Amino acid sequence: MTATTRAIHLGRQEKPKRGSLLLLIPGIASVVLLGVLPLFIVARNSFAVADDYGGITDGLTFENYAKLLDPVYSKTLLFSLGLGLLNTVVCLVIGYLTSYYIVSRPTNRQGFLLLLVIIPFWTDFLVRTFAWITILGSGGPIAGILGIFGIAGFSVIPSNLAVVLGLLYSFLPTAIFPIYASMRSIDPSLKEAATDLGASWWGVHRRVILPLSSPGILGAALLTFIPTMGVFVIPVLLGGGKDPLVGNLIVTLYTEFRNQPMGAAVSMVLLVLMLASMALVGLALKRSSTKRATTKKTEA
Amino acid sequence: MDRIVNGIARGVFVFLYIPIVAVIVYSFNAAGTNTRFDGLTLQWYVELFQDASLMQTLRTSALVAVITATVATIIGIMFALGLARYRGRGRGALMALIALPLIVPEIVLGVALLSVFSTTKVPLGILTLVLGHLIVSLPLATLVLMSSAAMLDPSLPEAATDLGCTPWQTFTRVYFPLLRPAVVAAWLLSFTTSFSNIVMSTFLSGVGSTTLPLKIYSSLKTGLTPSINALGALLILLTLVIVLLVGVSQMRRILVESRT
Repeated sequence: MTATTRAIHLGRQEKPKRGSLLLLIPGIASVVLLGVLPLFIVARNSFAVADDYGGITDGLTFENYAKLLDPVYSKTLLFSLGLGLLNTVVCLVIGYLTSYYIVSRPTNRQGFLLLLVIIPFWTDFLVRTFAWITILGSGGPIAGILGIFGIAGFSVIPSNLAVVLGLLYSFLPTAIFPIYASMRSIDPSLKEAATDLGASWWGVHRRVILPLSSPGILGAALLTFIPTMGVFVIPVLLGGGKDPLVGNLIVTLYTEFRNQPMGAAVSMVLLVLMLASMALVGLALKRSSTKRATTKKTEA
Repeated sequence: MDRIVNGIARGVFVFLYIPIVAVIVYSFNAAGTNTRFDGLTLQWYVELFQDASLMQTLRTSALVAVITATVATIIGIMFALGLARYRGRGRGALMALIALPLIVPEIVLGVALLSVFSTTKVPLGILTLVLGHLIVSLPLATLVLMSSAAMLDPSLPEAATDLGCTPWQTFTRVYFPLLRPAVVAAWLLSFTTSFSNIVMSTFLSGVGSTTLPLKIYSSLKTGLTPSINALGALLILLTLVIVLLVGVSQMRRILVESRT
C-alpha cells in the first residue's frame, strides 16, 4: 500500500468519526447549558447571602443550610422524607405484585396489560390528580351516596389520606415499568425448579424472584422516592396545602417569598438526597452481583 | 397465594382506570355537580371553547409544545446518529449525560434554569418555556431515537456514500425513512411532555405566557368546575391518540427495555 492510498484509507475511516462528533455537540451542549451548569449555579446560590429583596449577593454563608434546622423547614423535610418513604414502599409492594401478575400472563396478553399501565402513565399529571377531587370531593359520587344515607358534608378532600392516594396513583406506573423489565428476564424454569424442590410461594419469591428482580426494584425506588418529595401539585389540590412537601417549599420560596438563596438550599437537599440514594443503589447492585459471582464460584 | 396476587393485580387495573372513567363520565353530566347524574350534555364542552382566556393558554401551550418537540427531535436525531457511529471512548458517559435530566428531580432543574434566567436577565416567556421543556423532553426523544439508530444496518449508509450520495442525501434517502417511526414517536412524546408540563412552567412562564396546565392548576385551587372535567376528558383522549400513534411496541421499548 502506497503512502497516498493509506492516507486516503485512513481519511475515509476517520471522516465519519469526526462527523459523528459534530452531531453529538447540540445534544451535549443542551444538557450542559440547560442542565448541568444551572445546577452548579443553584449550588453556588445556596451559599449566597440574600439581599433585601431575596436576590443573590456575592457573599458566602452557611446560614441558609443552618436555617434548614429551623422547625419551619425541618418539619417539612421530615414529613416529606416520611411520605416519600411511605409512597415508595407502597408503590414497590403493589408494583411488584402487579409486575408478577403481568409476567405470569401469556406473552401476547402482556402487551395489552402493559398498554393499560402506559395510558394512565402518559395521562396529564393534573388530570390524574383532579380526577380524585371528582371522585372523593364533597361534590363527588361517594359524598352523594353517603348523602342519601343522611351523612352530609362527607369529603376525603382535603386530607393526607387523599394525598397518599394521589401520590400512589401518580407513581405506581413509574414503579411498575422497571420491576416488570427485570422480572421479564427471569427464566421461568427457575421458579418451576424452586417449586419442584419444595419451596413455598413465599420461598420462591424470597429466594428466587425477589433477588433476581432487585435491579428493577431498586430502579423503581429511585424513580419514586425523591420525585415524590418534589411534588407540589398533589399536596395543594388534595391535601389543602396544610402539610407541604419539599416541592411546595421550593415553589413558595422561589415564586412567593422570592428568597432565592434559601430556595437554593432546599433544592440542594433534594439533589444531595438523590445523589446519595443513587450511590446507595449502585452499591447495592454491585454487592448483589459480586455475591452472585462468588456463589457461582463456590458452586463450581 | 397466586390467586390473592391475581386479585390484587386486577384491583390495581381497576384503580388505574377509576379516575379516568370518572372524569369522562362526569364531563357529560348535565347536573353541574358530581354528586348527582342528571343525564347527558355537551354543555361543558361548549363552555370550554367559549372561554377566551383558556383558549389563549391552549394556544401558548400548543406553540411551546410544537417548538419544543421539533427542536428536541432534531437534536435527538443528530445525537442518536452521532452516537451510533461513534466508536471512541466515553460512549457510556455520553449516554448517561443525555439521560441525566430524567434522573435529577424536575423541580430542581426548574429552579436551576430560573436562576440562570434571572441572573442573565432573560425575560420569562415563550423562549424560557421552550428551553425548560426542551431539557425534560430531550432525554426521552433521544432514548427513542437511539434504540432505533442502534438497530440500523451500518452497511446501508456506507452503500449510499459509495454510490455517491452526499451526507445530506444519505440522511434524507437512507437514515430518515428508516428512522421515521422513531422520529414520529420522539416528536409525539416530546410534544405531550411539553404540553402537559407543569413543574418547569411554574418557574419559567412569564406574564402573558401562561400555559394550559398552569391555568387549570390555578382554577382548580378555587374549585372544580364541570368544564374542567370536559377539558380533562379531552386531554385523556389526546393521550390515548398519542399512545396509539406511538404504538405499544415503541412505548414498551422506551419504558421497559431502556430500564433493564
